[in-house]
Amino acid sequence: MQLIWLSILTPLLAVVAIVFAPERNARWIALAGTLASLGLLTFIAWQFPEWTTGRYSPSTDAMAWIAGAGLGLTVGFDTVGLLMALLTAFLMPLCIIGSFSSVTIRVKEYYGWFLVLGASIILAFAARDAILFYIGYEFTLVPMTIVIAVYGGTERRIAAIKMFLYTFLGSMFMLAAILYVGWEHRLSTGAWNFDIDALTATSVRLPSSTQYWIFAALMIGFAVKVPLFPLHTWLPLAHDQAPTAGSVILAASMLKLGTYGNYRFALPMAPAGGVELMSVVAILSIIAIIYASLICWVQTDAKKLIAYSSVAHLGLCMLGLFALNPVGAEGAIFYMVNHGLSTGALFLCIGMFYERYHTKDTEVLGGLAKRMPVWACFMVFFTLASVGLPGLNGFVGEFLCVGGTFLAEHDSQSGYPGVLGPWYAIVAALGLIFAAMYLLILLGKIVWGPLREPQRIEGHHDLAAVPIADLNLREVITLAPIAIACLWIGFQPKPMLDAIAPCAERMLVNYPAQVERFMRLEPPAVAAGATAGDKLGAEESR
Amino acid sequence: MTTLLASIPRAMNAPELSWLGVVILLPLAASVVCALCGALKCRTKLPAFVTIVALGASFALVLKAYFEYTGPVEVPIFEWINFHWGSGGKFQSFVADCALYIDSLTLFWMLFVTGLGTVITIYASEYMEADTGAGYSRFFFGISIFLFSMSALVMGDNLVMLYLGWEGVGLASYLLVGYDYHRPSAVAAAKKAFIVNRIGDLGLALGIFMLWTNYGTVRYDELFAAMNAGGRSEIDWDISVIPFLLMLGAFGKSAQFPLFVWLPDAMEGPTPVSALIHAATMVTAGVYLIARMFPFFELHQDALATVAWIGTGTALLAATIGMMQYDIKRVFAYSTISQLGYMFMGLGVGTTFGACYHTFTHAFFKALLFLTAGAVMHGFAGQLDLRKISGLRHIPGWRLVSWTMFVGCLWLAAVPFTAAFYSKDAILLTALSSDRWDFVLLGWVGLFTAALTAYYTFRVWFRVCAGPVKYEMGSDGGHDSHAAGDPHAHAAHPHAPRWCIKGVLLFLTIGAIASGIPSYRQVLTHAPNWVQEMIALSSAADGAGLPHDGGSASVPMLGETGGPHHATVLGMDAHTGLAIVGSCASIGGILVAFYFHLRSRRSADSLAAWLRSRRLVGWIPDAMEHKWYVDEIYHGMFRMPMWIGAQILSLGDKHFLDGAIVDGIGRLPIVVGKLFRPLYSGVLQGYAVTMAGGVGLILAWVMWVWMRGFN
Repeated sequence: MQLIWLSILTPLLAVVAIVFAPERNARWIALAGTLASLGLLTFIAWQFPEWTTGRYSPSTDAMAWIAGAGLGLTVGFDTVGLLMALLTAFLMPLCIIGSFSSVTIRVKEYYGWFLVLGASIILAFAARDAILFYIGYEFTLVPMTIVIAVYGGTERRIAAIKMFLYTFLGSMFMLAAILYVGWEHRLSTGAWNFDIDALTATSVRLPSSTQYWIFAALMIGFAVKVPLFPLHTWLPLAHDQAPTAGSVILAASMLKLGTYGNYRFALPMAPAGGVELMSVVAILSIIAIIYASLICWVQTDAKKLIAYSSVAHLGLCMLGLFALNPVGAEGAIFYMVNHGLSTGALFLCIGMFYERYHTKDTEVLGGLAKRMPVWACFMVFFTLASVGLPGLNGFVGEFLCVGGTFLAEHDSQSGYPGVLGPWYAIVAALGLIFAAMYLLILLGKIVWGPLREPQRIEGHHDLAAVPIADLNLREVITLAPIAIACLWIGFQPKPMLDAIAPCAERMLVNYPAQVERFMRLEPPAVAAGATAGDKLGAEESR
Repeated sequence: MTTLLASIPRAMNAPELSWLGVVILLPLAASVVCALCGALKCRTKLPAFVTIVALGASFALVLKAYFEYTGPVEVPIFEWINFHWGSGGKFQSFVADCALYIDSLTLFWMLFVTGLGTVITIYASEYMEADTGAGYSRFFFGISIFLFSMSALVMGDNLVMLYLGWEGVGLASYLLVGYDYHRPSAVAAAKKAFIVNRIGDLGLALGIFMLWTNYGTVRYDELFAAMNAGGRSEIDWDISVIPFLLMLGAFGKSAQFPLFVWLPDAMEGPTPVSALIHAATMVTAGVYLIARMFPFFELHQDALATVAWIGTGTALLAATIGMMQYDIKRVFAYSTISQLGYMFMGLGVGTTFGACYHTFTHAFFKALLFLTAGAVMHGFAGQLDLRKISGLRHIPGWRLVSWTMFVGCLWLAAVPFTAAFYSKDAILLTALSSDRWDFVLLGWVGLFTAALTAYYTFRVWFRVCAGPVKYEMGSDGGHDSHAAGDPHAHAAHPHAPRWCIKGVLLFLTIGAIASGIPSYRQVLTHAPNWVQEMIALSSAADGAGLPHDGGSASVPMLGETGGPHHATVLGMDAHTGLAIVGSCASIGGILVAFYFHLRSRRSADSLAAWLRSRRLVGWIPDAMEHKWYVDEIYHGMFRMPMWIGAQILSLGDKHFLDGAIVDGIGRLPIVVGKLFRPLYSGVLQGYAVTMAGGVGLILAWVMWVWMRGFN
């Protein structure tokens, strides 16, 4: 546990050092701090004892914080939390390296807040105490707001404020739900305790009408963060205005707090509520996939396009999660990691040409393969990863998410009945066609085709005399590790799949029975849609 | 379709054969080397050399496997997507490992994929030489990735591996069609190819899920075992939809109606790519898929019939379009679609042998034709308009190209005693001797299409290679960017190909002739057809026309003619009748082409002008030239409405959802504040009034509650 705290505190120590160090050293201190944190987390992962069991490590010895209120400083990972923390820690140093050239004003503050951001995200993934989780979860907003509002684009203030208020409002519902469950816990055991497992144990015993509201409240909080249609409108603006590194962390880690919250809180805590709302969430996810994909298609701003594609991709992730069977859950959790890698890398790529041309408008800019071949290689690679090409990282998660949705029929032989099924999967899979469409159109515009450059570039003397240069070594170092990770995960997903499987199963432990109960309440013909009639006949004859 | 044969043999687990994995690994390694060459700006022909060696070695390994082959084997390599839950039993795990499934169908396919891959790469090493140091590494990177994916597709032991290869070849096609990326048309064609293929892939993916839902596995061996155990008796909504989903995937990859529109555009790619990917190998993946999963196509009675109808329809449609194209490569592209249509027709009417044999012969002669077209392009600075080149065979240095093209045309026209004649015969015979009237009809349509094929094929040859010598050079690179940097590009004289190209053309000519050997042997010595034997030992055995145990020569030569009634064609024995009618069709087509395109070229134009002047049929030639406006129809039906919808959604998202609702709610506190602002004007009387009003309201409420009686 001390090691975990150390990995959270190291970046904060680096912040202290930055405050007292001269400005030119700030970047190196920040890099050292994030690297140290990554090193510690890698060490934790290296000797992590519970890779294939789904249990938490360290498992016991709660560190009391405010003992009377049952608040503890308990931290510990299961494999999902560890993977997400590793993802964050892996991307942090790359973001720092990527920011070397783009941040020129208030440098110390930038790196300082950025480190705080990283630390609070890791805290949220590591927390085993619900209030501690909430602290990490909410505190990410402060540095992110500052990063956007100070270092962002022209509409940065509005974007930052909208993001802050929107997600803050959402998490109020979530906090209320957590406090309510804590109160119920006190009623039943006589003491306050906010340990997540203890809360879960209390919550699953509550009547289903209560669970319904707990689930709804938690869901609203996390749905804003995911973001789920129709609560997504803060995201494109925030992404559009955020500096590159901010976008990367926003897409890769902060949005994952939403899906992680579903995995850790909403689904296990209120299974009876979950089954009643699962078709609602699934339908919203499907709408998100199609809706955001279509919007992507007509976007001319490269960064907004990727932002909307995040909405679509996370819709697929949520759909996999709410298929409520191991295939879908496995795929969704796997996808959480891989969406972070490929979308994060895409934001880095876009940042790199934005830094050169000061525009991300695909109408003005095009055919950059001719000017920046190395950049073009990376861009094509990460786009293909994002499209879900088999052999790269995105595929496994996407495939399993759609597959899980497909299998979630009420008479599924997997032992996990569900209410989705082929029709949901077909619509979701349409999203995969759309993904290929809008991403390849993006490639066709900015990478391929005849070279188009803006007439004048702010701060650039003469385009003809000094043409824009290709990526330098620092930028290659930023992108190459992500590319290697994408390839490696694509061909060797087995270790990660093995690590996730028991966690997915634990998340779903109450669901088969709950779905059965739910199915008996409602006539199956309504629950399972168009195919139910045929299936029912088949089931009876069996 | 009721002739269910005995069970498909179970595969043996053979980890000792893991060296077969090297067949897949070698092209991958070559692609890594090519990528390095690109990164290090290598200025030599090293990438081509490495690719050729790797592919050649792959081919040698496949040969070794062929000679050592004893029965179906499964070769585990490593665990890929593999996890389980619960007890880990049948429906409690998802296993799609990286493993190989080797049976005779696999080997049959791999032999011509790696063999032709090697040969065409040799050709490309000369063809692409002007790009040395620039796109050269990128080109051979694409070729290596293609061979890697294609090998994974064919050799994989489960459908997810197949899917990996399926998308991988799509990627290679995307990269190579868009090779010449500064031409917008090439970029658009690459994009279109990938996206249209994705639509098909959707069907394939859903088919895979459907198989898993019903059988709990995606591995061929276990699926076939489930079939043997009576998996097909359980006819159920979701089982019977499986063949239709898989079919959609096959139609996308193999360019069948309604997803054929990408293939003609894909001719924007360099010609070796057209020959290798868009003629010989990748587009046959759909045929492979159906042949591989053949037992599952009997799950629904109409599945195979649908394949047959779509195949025949595509064959006819593409042939009519091909008749009116002026770009040599486009003519060949439509002929590829049309020939693929024959293969699907073969699969549909139940002869996997005919389909696979036609795939095999087609691979050789179509690659040959494309490569001759490429040689013309290479020499004439991108000129491909068949109206602008004439008398090629009289130009010094071009004799070999002309005559190898002649052989290719003869084979494509299925002139008697060529290999394609026998393979097409196998398909049409099965169709014509079928019990079903609609298959007989399809057979006749197929024969009619054969005549059209002969016509448009020789239209090209008579125009380009025969007649008076007359040519215009291409404007610039035209189709191939490499010519732009070519010192010969703007020269007034064509430059003849050298020995890499000529050697490969010669080799492919010999290969095209040799692909008929199995049939010649069958006709002359009554030895069983080699291809038929290969198919009969695989999962596609149901349509091989041989008994399952490998069979003896005593079996009737082709098709399933052993039924109670003896099929006839025009009153003759089906076999003889078909041979006569088929020969007449192809020779008749050639003669028509001879008259209109060599003897009296002017009469062709006057015929076209006459046709155009008729009111009733005048639109037909234009429609054929514009491929029956299929692209425009798709644009109007799908792309346009979706694009408009997307614009509306985009505006709605910005101005309604975000602008009106979210910002509206955000503005609510301000609005509410403004509402009450007059009350806090700072004037004392105002406060007094407010207070009085407040007190009044509270009193009213209390009164109201009291009147209602506190409940």
